Amino acid sequence: MNESQAREEIRFIQEMIERTKRITAGSWMFFLIWGIVAILGVIGMYVLVYFEKYSWIWVNWIIFVAIGIVHSLVYGTKQERELGAKTYTQGVVGHLCLACGMAFMLVGFIFPALGLYSWGLIAVLISLIAGILVFVMGGIYEWNLLKWCGLIWWFGALGMVFIHENYRGLLFIPLMLVGYIMPALVLRSMYWRERDKNDP
Amino acid sequence: MIPEKLAQLDPIIHSRLRLAILSILISVKEANFNYLKNTIGTTDGNLSANLSKLEEAGYISIRKTFRGKKPLTTCSISEKGRKAFSAYLQALETYLHFKK
Repeated sequence: MNESQAREEIRFIQEMIERTKRITAGSWMFFLIWGIVAILGVIGMYVLVYFEKYSWIWVNWIIFVAIGIVHSLVYGTKQERELGAKTYTQGVVGHLCLACGMAFMLVGFIFPALGLYSWGLIAVLISLIAGILVFVMGGIYEWNLLKWCGLIWWFGALGMVFIHENYRGLLFIPLMLVGYIMPALVLRSMYWRERDKNDP
Repeated sequence: MIPEKLAQLDPIIHSRLRLAILSILISVKEANFNYLKNTIGTTDGNLSANLSKLEEAGYISIRKTFRGKKPLTTCSISEKGRKAFSAYLQALETYLHFKK
């Protein structure tokens, strides 16, 4: 073996490892769906408030969250089959999403239902958890855009404190667009670009 | 390390296709046959033969199941395979460091 052969082998190993990272970009759909689900949930909530159907607000959220969960399970299973490989990153991210999902449920439904705090605080706490989820995912994927999105969520949570609780949910929509939908679309373009590059 | 000894890289790994297989399996928990074939860009026969060689050496484990009526072959790297791959990488890097 000579020096150039050794370098070529290391380069080849790196290239193979890079190809497995394409699996990561496939998670764009989860971001997109949850972003859309949350925005529709907020719009639905304000529509119900406008028509003074306050008791239906919980039903509105339960329906949209259920749609998100069902889609995540179905798409996750389908993606696993199509990709044909499981990465360690997927396992870690899966646990992170599950943990944050449980936190969303507790903060968004259980604790307010038990009267721990008023409904006006929900948006602040949800934004806080969303920031943790997105920021940590940025660290796992080594993707600075997601880390910035996490920071935006936290600043959004802080900003909500200075807004009347009746209107906090409205700030949720631009946060979702910037903090969930935008990275989803960037991830999607990365995913399709890698797919086209690797397909014969 | 003496340069002559550096040249004695693990012959099981020192093959482009087997190196590709191990590079992929070191990065994932497990991968199925089609994923390996499409990612590496090789034929069924070639991949099968090289997977068998790696399995005989104890570097990977292969699990054969069915998904519905379709056979599914899933591969994962073994602890022995990880150590062998790590040693192979180290040998390459030490060789390049020595050459500098």
